[in-house]
Amino acid sequence: MKRGGLQNYIIRRLIYAFLIAFGVVTITFILLRIGPSSPADKYLANISARTQNPARVIEAVEARYGLDKPVIQQYFDYLVNLARGDWGWSFSTSLPVIELIRRHWIYSFQLILLSMLFASSLGILIGIYSAVKQYTRTDYIATFFSFIGISIPNFWLGIMLILVFSVQLGWFKTYYDTGLPMFSLANLKALILPVITLGTGMMAGYTRYARSSTLDNLRKDFVKTARAKGLPERVVIGKHVFRNAILPIITIIMFDLAGVVFGGAYLTEIIFGIPGLGRVSFNAIFANDYPVVITITLIGAMVVLLTNLTTDIVYTWLDPRIRYD
Amino acid sequence: MKGTFIEGVSGGDAETLNWLLAADATSFSYAGMCFDSLATYDNDWQVHLRHLAKPVEVSDDGLTYTVTIRDDLKWSNGTPVTAEDYVYTLKNLMFSDWLNYAYQTEWQEEVEGETVFVEVELVDETTFVIRRQTVDPEFVDNAIYSLTPYPKHIAQKYEGDLEAFTEAEEFNNLTYTGNLGPYRFKEWIRNDKYVVERNPDFYLGQETGAPYFEEYETKLFGTSAAVLAALEAGDIQHCGIEPEQVAKFKQMEGIKVYTVPTRAYDLIVYNLRNNGWEGLQDRSVRQALSMSIDKQTFIDQIRYGFADPAFSFIPGPSPWYTEEGVLKFGIGDLYDKEKAKEILLEAGYGTREADGSISIHDKDGQPIKLTLVTTTGSKLTEDITLFVKQELGDIGIEVDFKLVPWPTQLRQYMMNKVPGSEQELNYNNGPDAVSEEPWDMMVLAFNTHPIAPSGSRVFFITDGGLNFWGYSNERVDELFVRVRSEEALDPEVRKQMYAEISRLIAEDQPADFLSFPSSNQGFQENVEGIDPGMRLGWNHHEWYFAELE
Repeated sequence: MKRGGLQNYIIRRLIYAFLIAFGVVTITFILLRIGPSSPADKYLANISARTQNPARVIEAVEARYGLDKPVIQQYFDYLVNLARGDWGWSFSTSLPVIELIRRHWIYSFQLILLSMLFASSLGILIGIYSAVKQYTRTDYIATFFSFIGISIPNFWLGIMLILVFSVQLGWFKTYYDTGLPMFSLANLKALILPVITLGTGMMAGYTRYARSSTLDNLRKDFVKTARAKGLPERVVIGKHVFRNAILPIITIIMFDLAGVVFGGAYLTEIIFGIPGLGRVSFNAIFANDYPVVITITLIGAMVVLLTNLTTDIVYTWLDPRIRYD
Repeated sequence: MKGTFIEGVSGGDAETLNWLLAADATSFSYAGMCFDSLATYDNDWQVHLRHLAKPVEVSDDGLTYTVTIRDDLKWSNGTPVTAEDYVYTLKNLMFSDWLNYAYQTEWQEEVEGETVFVEVELVDETTFVIRRQTVDPEFVDNAIYSLTPYPKHIAQKYEGDLEAFTEAEEFNNLTYTGNLGPYRFKEWIRNDKYVVERNPDFYLGQETGAPYFEEYETKLFGTSAAVLAALEAGDIQHCGIEPEQVAKFKQMEGIKVYTVPTRAYDLIVYNLRNNGWEGLQDRSVRQALSMSIDKQTFIDQIRYGFADPAFSFIPGPSPWYTEEGVLKFGIGDLYDKEKAKEILLEAGYGTREADGSISIHDKDGQPIKLTLVTTTGSKLTEDITLFVKQELGDIGIEVDFKLVPWPTQLRQYMMNKVPGSEQELNYNNGPDAVSEEPWDMMVLAFNTHPIAPSGSRVFFITDGGLNFWGYSNERVDELFVRVRSEEALDPEVRKQMYAEISRLIAEDQPADFLSFPSSNQGFQENVEGIDPGMRLGWNHHEWYFAELE
């Protein structure tokens, strides 16, 4: 494909991303600030005789965070601060928002990355193997387990894994230990159960897709030609079938990635006590900590846009017939 | 000195360690690991001096309080903590407009219709005086004992600048706490864990070596099931146990469970305002409703036996608790559905049928339908709601329930204003104010300070800031004023006043007080030094790990 065509395409997508970011900030801000809740609500969460004058307490808190100003002014103040690179102060955690994200993104990132690797590599391999061995016992077993994998809710799987492997067998801690060095075997071990929990459903899905995509391709003429030319089966499958079968699965993996970033990892983080962005955003939503919610929503949106862009670029590499000019 | 003690918690994280900006209990509890206050109580409500060098001296007229602090308290930079730090904290921070401390009311009094702050005066290095213009026998318990200072030498840098104060690293990381508490701040990973490490300079530990843990970690879990699994697996040393799980953990090897009273009570509040069912304004009707709800069954089935029946707002372990003359609706003779029906009949809400039975209906002959409001997301409150529905259903009153999120409950059901007026929504906008949405009953839980219950007047006096339900009894109002007056300096007199308040409230039944729930606290067997009781943890710096045989 023409290099200029792809470059223009990327530039167009980046402009598009900027507009979407603006939209995300505006919509999230409006939704959070016009709702009935106030960040000051938590001050009355446990009604206490200490709160002799609740109205005064609420006023004090709202004044402290500038929430007593008109919403439109709050919105413009927020935008001006954003333009200056100030993402705001998280009043539910007493940290600058950007510092809060900096401290927590890595926990979500490692969980999501390992889960995606686990799910996609195993899922695709099993799917292709299952297709090649269609209607054999191996195929039936793979199909059976992939249906189970798709059906099991991951919160249930997580709890069961903890009960069996942590409580009964004592092989793992019942929760993720943030004290472990990030790049260590111990950390990798601590992530085994969360990765299985988050990755099993996705892996089962990829197995199904990979199986059916491989079966489609096995019937194509180019496979027959390859076989007729006397190429070994390993080369036919590994080179010709695999490269074509993987294309639709990449789209699905990218969609899943967006879904996981937007909340799919949250339940796993809750079950294993992983302080990732899922938990941070969940708590921020309940605390009406809007600077945090907006920032994390924006990050999620950017990840989706970036993954879509990456998918498009990967397509051109995998299938040179695809062009964007 | 060894080991890390891990306490598992399922719930929200603290908001800040800069405690003057906090309003949530978790923030105070986190920060409180690193500094003591002037005094604390044990489970028998005996006062233990902490930063106080000697008991607070109260003048005979009850208006002047002389506070003398220890002379061995130090900030992290080695400079002594002085009375000047306390005076500065009170006058320049807690009483200031720019900081807007959430609990200023604890340091205020009503003088000739005006709300004013108490006066604070420095005497010498270790002594300061607090002067009131009105007597409040509970001022020491409500305010003074919990006082802890900010370092003047640091706070001055940020004075008047709320943003800078909010973001001050020294306060957010507790870098100033010197020898003021058993632990020092080590690490706080939001939504994960709060870790403090042993303070070798702890002013109370110089002779005993306390505290005995190297680290004390508060670990947050996403679900209560995950906390309990961690306790069972031995990954944590301590956590609360839900009532339905207690039997299992009591049988578990290596775990011990303490059942301790709490300062909470759960209740069904009746709407006495104009948008509640008219029958609720009649005391006998309220009594009849409360008479139909069986507290023992409630405690046995919903609280799994871990509660005591409540009849008023002062819990059993309080020195002011009394049962004398207090009507015990929902227990014994006062749990009687037939009698309840008779009372409703007499009040005009029923008809005696030919067979002698009583059918209950409103004054127009229509079935009585009451709306019970409760918060979503709590199995306990949902269980209570269903139980009440069943109990009142037995006497012919239909209960519809509305499960609403807490912010909605606050704004649409609890806050009120006079219809058509320009009033801002508030929790008590006078006797004619009503909430946006009508309601009849509400399931809630409140707390009472067992030593200083007069703070609860906020719910029970006619113009109480949290009296959203519209209860009013002149005698109760008067007694709540007198309980904070010179005559109440005599504990016997005060006890009689609280007894009368309890009797009046129990008789009026503005709410059906259901129970004082207990909490169950599980520990690994090798944790020693625990003093179980309502104030569990008051001596946590003396806890230690025993070697198991």
